[in-house]
Amino acid sequence: MKNSWLVAMREFKERIGARSFILFSVIGPLLILGLVYILFALGGNSKQHWNVLIADPAGIMDNKIMAGVDENVSYSFADGYIELEEFKDAKKYQQFDALLEVNEKVLSNKTGFLFYRNKPSVRMQTRIQYQYERRLEEVLVKEFTDLSVKEFRKIKQPINVSFRDVNDPKGEASNLNGWAGFFFGTLIFIFIFLFGMTILRSVSREKSNRIVEVLLASVSPRQLMMGILIGIGFAAFLQFAVWMLIIGAGLYFMRETLFPDMLDAAKMNIQELTLSANDLSYQEQYFAAREYNQFVELVFNQVQFGNTILFFLLFFVGGYLFYGSFFAAVGATMGSESDGQQFVIPIVLLLILSLYSGYYVMNYPDSDLASILHYLPFTSPVVTMVKLHMGYEAGHAYEIILSFLVLIISSFLMLMIASRLYKNGILQFGHRLKFKHILKWLKNT
Amino acid sequence: MLELRNISKSFFRKEALNDVSLKVNDGEIFGLLGPNGAGKTTLIRVINQIVEADSGSVRFKGDLMTENDLANIGYLPEERGLYRGMTVEAHALFLARLRGLSKKDAATKIDYWFDRFQINDWRKKRIEELSKGMAQKVQFICTVLHEPSLLILDEPFSGFDPVNVELIKQELLEMKMKGKTILLSTHNMNSVEEICDRAALIHNAKKIAEGTISELREIPGDVSYLVRFKGNMIAFVNALWTGYDVVDKQVLGDDRFEVELQMRGDSTFNDLLKVLMSSVEIEGAWKKQASMQDVFIQLVQPKTEAHEE
Repeated sequence: MKNSWLVAMREFKERIGARSFILFSVIGPLLILGLVYILFALGGNSKQHWNVLIADPAGIMDNKIMAGVDENVSYSFADGYIELEEFKDAKKYQQFDALLEVNEKVLSNKTGFLFYRNKPSVRMQTRIQYQYERRLEEVLVKEFTDLSVKEFRKIKQPINVSFRDVNDPKGEASNLNGWAGFFFGTLIFIFIFLFGMTILRSVSREKSNRIVEVLLASVSPRQLMMGILIGIGFAAFLQFAVWMLIIGAGLYFMRETLFPDMLDAAKMNIQELTLSANDLSYQEQYFAAREYNQFVELVFNQVQFGNTILFFLLFFVGGYLFYGSFFAAVGATMGSESDGQQFVIPIVLLLILSLYSGYYVMNYPDSDLASILHYLPFTSPVVTMVKLHMGYEAGHAYEIILSFLVLIISSFLMLMIASRLYKNGILQFGHRLKFKHILKWLKNT
Repeated sequence: MLELRNISKSFFRKEALNDVSLKVNDGEIFGLLGPNGAGKTTLIRVINQIVEADSGSVRFKGDLMTENDLANIGYLPEERGLYRGMTVEAHALFLARLRGLSKKDAATKIDYWFDRFQINDWRKKRIEELSKGMAQKVQFICTVLHEPSLLILDEPFSGFDPVNVELIKQELLEMKMKGKTILLSTHNMNSVEEICDRAALIHNAKKIAEGTISELREIPGDVSYLVRFKGNMIAFVNALWTGYDVVDKQVLGDDRFEVELQMRGDSTFNDLLKVLMSSVEIEGAWKKQASMQDVFIQLVQPKTEAHEE
């Protein structure tokens, strides 16, 4: 163990001394912060403003659309009918971003057409549709009923069916939580992949510069492999901590300075928002939901940091050991560095599969396949993160412990298999790696 | 010190060692010889427990060798490498600690050896900044740093210039004086003659000879002696009288000759010298032995040819 520790410390120092390590420790989280910023900015109040020209030759809307002013859209009414060609090319129409055509039969066919120059964002589409619908409702009510608009809207309300889990009747586990778990699972796999490749390179470099023979005269292959895994693991962990620190500080900074308004809104709970919106029309609800930035909610409200960090760390370590031994084994068995690249592909496919299974579990959390994926060591690091965030049923918390145990036991089995491959493969140079070699090395004790 | 009993090992049906047994005595320099691919490196790896033998046993100081004994061995592989990014000092410290030295002991030993090899200036240099010869010196130091009782050196002279070859040789002889045992695998036959006490020859996975260097250099058949002298050839032949046969002679010029002789009857080498002393000026006289080079070629070649057929 002492030797493993010496190897680990050497590896750790070499890793953190590398320029790429320092660079990636800073650039990685800054990239993520940049991405978050873009998502915030896009999801927040965009400053985009549209000029919409309404062609209403029949005068159905009576040159009115809404009482207040919308800072994102301004409407103008045209007299008479506008040819599409004319709108497209005529100089006087160039100031308008879109033409909303209200045909005479709109009250019966309930259809309008909007011709745009550049495709409006979904938010803009919702906004215009909402305002158009509201105005036409007023006209319809006036034309066909004796009701007030308010009464009409009360009747018009769509019938909702809220799909709830019998174990979670209040619907506390939101899908959004699943996304947070998926995010953490993805993070685990990004680190496993990056540092797995580092393990592979480190092992194959040791092999190709022949230092390994000197080392193996004092350290057993298993100790050497453990040492490399631990050393690189520490480096991964340190880098992760730096990431979290920078991302945490960056998010705090954004919350305080760049997006204070939006984040105030984020303090509301999405369910409350939907409930209070229950007496609004379906369109309004849709609109409210769109206005609400889910991403902000996700980052600042849905992540249960306490639980998450503990289990994140456990599964991070387990997943790292499990996949790390694959990478080390591949590094040890390859004849030359390029030779091993093709053997990385199956591992990468497994990693992608595990990410996909996280996504699958998010959508079908109670399926049989989901519970298999939850225990399968290949997929459990992502899947448990998703399930943890979606919430385990009461009395089922043992499942996550069980899944962790399965992962740890499989990691140690994998380590044993890998060190066998490592031991038999590491002193074979310049060969072309064939599957029968691997089988032979596995059989050799 | 080290005893190998019936070691066999094969890789993918290719036989690397076939029932090899040999014994390295305490305090001797033992040469492990053989052509490329004979199995020397595999044998050395078996001793170092890097490769497990299919059958046979390795005994160290009388007992079956265990992992703990590895700390008493210094191993310099033929294909040697260093971590290119590390400094010389950090590298030496790392390897010394892997061999079981405490941090403090390792530092003391590093000071001693760096002084001895005069490489104190390189301490903070990174390995990648060193020339090949410099790196080899560092590797050698890393091997002997923990002052093991058994040194296993695979081709220790390759890559060194003649000055450094001499330095390493002297170092090995000094270690021998201190009671260390050295197992040396090399193709450099001169150095085998110069420093080895005993040697074994491995060929096609089998041990084909083992013995002291003089035993190995013994030429089968009648023993010959060589005498180099200055003077008259006729006087020389007359002096010999009936006790000796001249087998061969070589004229060296300037009245100097080298003559190969064989003894007749009970005559000894000393008798020969007494007879000659009064007649010619003796420059040198020695027993004719095969060079290790010849021994090597002789033992290996017929078998190689047979193998190739």
